[in-house]
Amino acid sequence: MASRQLRFVLNGRPVQGEVDPTRSLLDVLRTDFALKGPKYGCGKGQCGACSVLVGGQVARACVLRAGRVAGQEVTTLEGLAPDGRLHPVQQAFIDRQGAQCGYCLNGMVISAVALLRQDPAPDRARVEAALRDNLCRCGTHREIVASVLLASGAQADD
Amino acid sequence: MTEGGMISVYEDRPEGRMTHVQIDGRGQVTAFNGHVDLGTGIQTALAQIVAEELGCTLEAVTVVLGDTGRTPNQGPTIASETIQVAAVPLRKAAAQLGQFLAGEGARRLNAPLAEVETREGRALWQQTEVAFGDLVAGHNLAMRLDPDMPVKDPAGYRIVGRPVGRVDLPAKVTGQFDYIQDIRVPGMVHGHVIRPPYAGRDSGPFIGTSLLGWDEAAIATRPGFLAVVREGDFLAVVAETAHQARTLAEALPVHWRQPPPGPDLSDLRHALKAAPSMPRVLERSGDVEAALAGADHRAARSYVWPYHLHGSIGPSCAVADWNGGAPVVWSGTQNPHMLQGDLAQLVGLEPDRIEVRRHQAAGCYGRNCADDVAGDALLLARALGRPVRVQLTRAQEHLWEPRGAAQLMEVSGGLKAGHLHAYTLDTWYPSNRGPNLALLLTGRISPEPRSADMGDRTAIPPYRIAHKRITVHDMAPLVRAAWMRGVSALPNTFAHESFVDEMAAEAGEDPVAFRLKHLDDPRTRDLVIKTAEEAGWQARSGPRLRREGRMAYGQGFAFATYVHGTFPGTAAASSAWVCDVAVDTRTGEITLTRVFVGQDQGLVINPDGVRQQIHGNVIQTASRTLLEEVTVDAITPAPQSWGSYPIQSFDTLPEIRSMLIARPGDPALGVGESAAVPAAAAIANAIFDATGVRLREAPFTPERMRAGLAELGGAPPLPAPDAGQKPRRRRWAAWAGGIAGALTLGAVALPMARALPPQAAPSAASFAAPLLERGRQVFATGDCAVCHTAQDGSPNAGGRPMKTPFGTVFTTNLTPDPETGLGNWSFAAFDRAMRRGISRDGHNLYPAFPYTAFAKMDGEDMYALYAYLQTLAPVRAAVPRARMVAPLNLRPVNAAWNLLYLDRAPLVDDPARSQAWNRGRYLVEGAGHCSACHSPRSALGAEKGGAAALSGAEVDGWWAPALAGTAPALRGWDEDRLFAYLGTGHAPGLASAAGPMAPVVAGLATLPEADRRAMAVYLASLAAPDVAPAAVPTLAEVTPGPGARLFRGACASCHEPGLAGALTAAQVPLARSAAIRAPTRATLRSLLREGITAPLELPLRDMPAFGEELSDHQIDQIADFLRARYAPDLKPFPDS
Ligand code: FES
Ligand code: FES
Repeated sequence: MASRQLRFVLNGRPVQGEVDPTRSLLDVLRTDFALKGPKYGCGKGQCGACSVLVGGQVARACVLRAGRVAGQEVTTLEGLAPDGRLHPVQQAFIDRQGAQCGYCLNGMVISAVALLRQDPAPDRARVEAALRDNLCRCGTHREIVASVLLASGAQADD
Repeated sequence: MTEGGMISVYEDRPEGRMTHVQIDGRGQVTAFNGHVDLGTGIQTALAQIVAEELGCTLEAVTVVLGDTGRTPNQGPTIASETIQVAAVPLRKAAAQLGQFLAGEGARRLNAPLAEVETREGRALWQQTEVAFGDLVAGHNLAMRLDPDMPVKDPAGYRIVGRPVGRVDLPAKVTGQFDYIQDIRVPGMVHGHVIRPPYAGRDSGPFIGTSLLGWDEAAIATRPGFLAVVREGDFLAVVAETAHQARTLAEALPVHWRQPPPGPDLSDLRHALKAAPSMPRVLERSGDVEAALAGADHRAARSYVWPYHLHGSIGPSCAVADWNGGAPVVWSGTQNPHMLQGDLAQLVGLEPDRIEVRRHQAAGCYGRNCADDVAGDALLLARALGRPVRVQLTRAQEHLWEPRGAAQLMEVSGGLKAGHLHAYTLDTWYPSNRGPNLALLLTGRISPEPRSADMGDRTAIPPYRIAHKRITVHDMAPLVRAAWMRGVSALPNTFAHESFVDEMAAEAGEDPVAFRLKHLDDPRTRDLVIKTAEEAGWQARSGPRLRREGRMAYGQGFAFATYVHGTFPGTAAASSAWVCDVAVDTRTGEITLTRVFVGQDQGLVINPDGVRQQIHGNVIQTASRTLLEEVTVDAITPAPQSWGSYPIQSFDTLPEIRSMLIARPGDPALGVGESAAVPAAAAIANAIFDATGVRLREAPFTPERMRAGLAELGGAPPLPAPDAGQKPRRRRWAAWAGGIAGALTLGAVALPMARALPPQAAPSAASFAAPLLERGRQVFATGDCAVCHTAQDGSPNAGGRPMKTPFGTVFTTNLTPDPETGLGNWSFAAFDRAMRRGISRDGHNLYPAFPYTAFAKMDGEDMYALYAYLQTLAPVRAAVPRARMVAPLNLRPVNAAWNLLYLDRAPLVDDPARSQAWNRGRYLVEGAGHCSACHSPRSALGAEKGGAAALSGAEVDGWWAPALAGTAPALRGWDEDRLFAYLGTGHAPGLASAAGPMAPVVAGLATLPEADRRAMAVYLASLAAPDVAPAAVPTLAEVTPGPGARLFRGACASCHEPGLAGALTAAQVPLARSAAIRAPTRATLRSLLREGITAPLELPLRDMPAFGEELSDHQIDQIADFLRARYAPDLKPFPDS
């Protein structure tokens, strides 16, 4: 499809560009805005690697066409630490070593941020449910859950 | 000479002089290792080793892994060898450098060498100290590695053995880290590969010889196109951007020879045994046959391990720069030096002309497509003379990755006097080392079956058995297959440790005690005893069959020493598992609730890293054991997405505890795979303890568990959740026969309509603006553009196929092109076509064109529409001929149809009704032609009237739900919801537009609000009065089966997300879905195949299409699951 002017707010900054609005938001973020946080994993909304926040809601950027975010606020992993100070969730993932290869990390952190906004003190079961649509092949699940619990202020028991 | 100074330690190796470690004048240390970090954290562990030996801080060390230009060739990063083998010279080099710096420090501090200490990057003596950087500054020195260099005594370790965080994590958690997928090179363009239809196969004469042709002209003028590159069966499109490359590649018409059918893998046991193999006896002792014959009890068992996907979360990617014949290739490969050799062969260069720069990729745990895609990129870079990036799609990765090999193990054994007396293992392992795909596709290497000798890992059981024979049957792959975490040791251990457990039960002994009776090695005994103790192992003399209601609980034990390398191999860490399971005896679902792992890995470098490896191994292998299997369907050769290949998710995680046995005095052993090896046997043994059922074929699905229970008579078998589907029967033929009988006789007597002369239409400029706006609204109400635009065609130029029961007709060109469109139509001709279905040349239009509705439009609207159409951009596009089932291709037959069904009476306002109602009726029944889709049609293709009008119908695979009667009332439609829906495509909580309805709404949304309100008023009046909305049905529990699993993998992330409030495609609860409640599966089939691409101007969401990745059978399985779960009040879909 032909390109159109697309304007939205990316990580707190208004941006615009000539973009084919039917391209996926993931492709636009990675190609046109040179971001590395959101990752291509499946392109079908099945793994969560591409997660971003759109207007505060978690969204899978691979199945969201760029035209759909016109006028919206989009936050990526990069946008969580705008001034170099880590978001508490990011810090917790370092403290609890919530990654092996880390390819799934983006989706885990973004989902955790959204979860903690909804429920600042989730229990373990809630965290596990909230992350269940995010895939990790390395089996880092336990460390990831511990990271989210740490970020929420709860003490993980492993 | 390096400015500021540099001291290094090198080794002369076959590939040249290689530096192991160096330190610069700022005290920064760089270490080089030929292995790579696969997600297991070896970068961190190597940094610890270097900092320890050298006496510097961890932060001062940078580790360069796997670049062929800078690191030694230390073979592939497989089999957990990095710490055990590849780190040895690095450790010595660091010690040598540390010793040198201590000597320099002694000189500088004027101190006796023996009293100088090196620590945190400084040499210290009494109160004085000097930084390493200052010792290096100004010196340039390269020292040859002393192979006899002594290394530190572990007792004095300060850094090794302490928990340390991964050094790469801060960059990863902020999105700053460069994975291979993030590499961008100036001037880079993008290739998209087109793979042959023989997905996942690597031997046979058709490999590399199946490409017949392609039509480059079809895409050559499209934006961004650069080239089509072909060599043998290697085919790719290169374009400026990745999106363009993919779009063009998907649009390129390509013709392949049909490959011969693949091997039948539906019965793996049989397939593995039937294929050619070469027996290789690994060990023989005593007289097995005689011992078996003389045993008190003997048994023969076979165990089957399925194909698995490595399933890296990030599909493989590579960038290559031809660089004037000295190529640089950026890759996520596991084996940079091996890849270098493959690439050299691919492009005919000497290996040292090619530099492979290794970057981290998603964790791969074996041979995925990383090497293949590097070959792809290099071929394209050479062809284009520019740097080319190739990113594989998820489907390409899934279809082509060399799978973790399937394996068959046959065991026979016997007990004598309570001891395991005789034991044979025969193991079939169909794998090679995954030759580079580009080499195969281009024909550089012959596609002959090749086998590798990797089936022998941990093939020798650890027990003292007097008579044994161990044989591995080396065989070529049946489908592309290579090593995966635990390689063949995991399946071999599944067999050993299941069988021993079975023998213990047979002997009436505790499984752990029985094992110990046959174990001599003190270190192994120590591991088994400590693990059982720490884990709270409960001794038993047979399966305990603990039950609570329908749940059964059990605990299992297994252990193994992972042996890697060429037989007899080298031992890595040993692991023992004690695990607990819960089995739902009704559904057959198995939950792994707790795993305790004891591990002996000698010296522990980084306890945090080791524990993380244990967790990863446990979770990943439990997933493989319980869930995973590559199925091969006749049509789709393998899963193409996570939808049909579910892996472990967070909501069924086991609790994991680990115990690292402290052996600081023993050499460090690899820990990357060991904890995976006992998994399958331990779980199977726990299931046996819970239920008495022995599962000998993985994965342990609910279906297999139910079958096992039924065999024991333990639990009532449940009905199969997804009954097999019969192929679709077509009803059209019967319909067409009906119409033929009814109409052919009459038809011949009817005159054709007369042709109206061509007459140039008035120019667009001659129409007044208000008239054109009115015309635009009529055009939008009728949504003419939807049907009159072909997929990928010019807007309104027609050519869209309309499937009818009588054949396929194509819509006409509405643009004012004089030859192929309406440019030569007078208004009279247009008006006649619209009202009577007669084309300008006198032939009858098929009733797929809803002229019966348009006949009700008023004259001004008709003229306004005519005027508006003349303002469209003219497009020359001839319309294809209709393909009808005889005798409908006699268009005169339609004339007879018109006599029967065309009601040309205009609508008369009903004075008893409001103005809005009358306006609404005019729009709905006239230009809006809602009934064309929403009314069922008679056998003759006419809309049914009376009570049947607008009572819902299936059109072209989509269910257009009822607009009149009780159905809409029961669903809760009222005027406001209808109004919302007509303007936005969405009635919150109730419905959102999909399929052909979405563009219809996009048109309606541009109408004046009053018109939409009027339509809502009229439509609301059609719903039966005094019918209260029905309650949303409560969801039903559905027996676990393929449909439920497919839904979980492919659909649940949007439709039943674990995290509420996500912005997903799902706007309406599935229990309200009209598609699920439709009379047949047709709409769900269409929806699942095509997805939803809603007009961007509506606040709707998009749903991905699954038609490419799921087979028709799988789509029907999902449809049936949806019906059973979300519409339990309705009968299952009828077999169509
Ligand atoms: S890449 Fe978007 S969900 Fe997998
Ligand atoms: S850490 Fe590798 S996929 Fe999660």
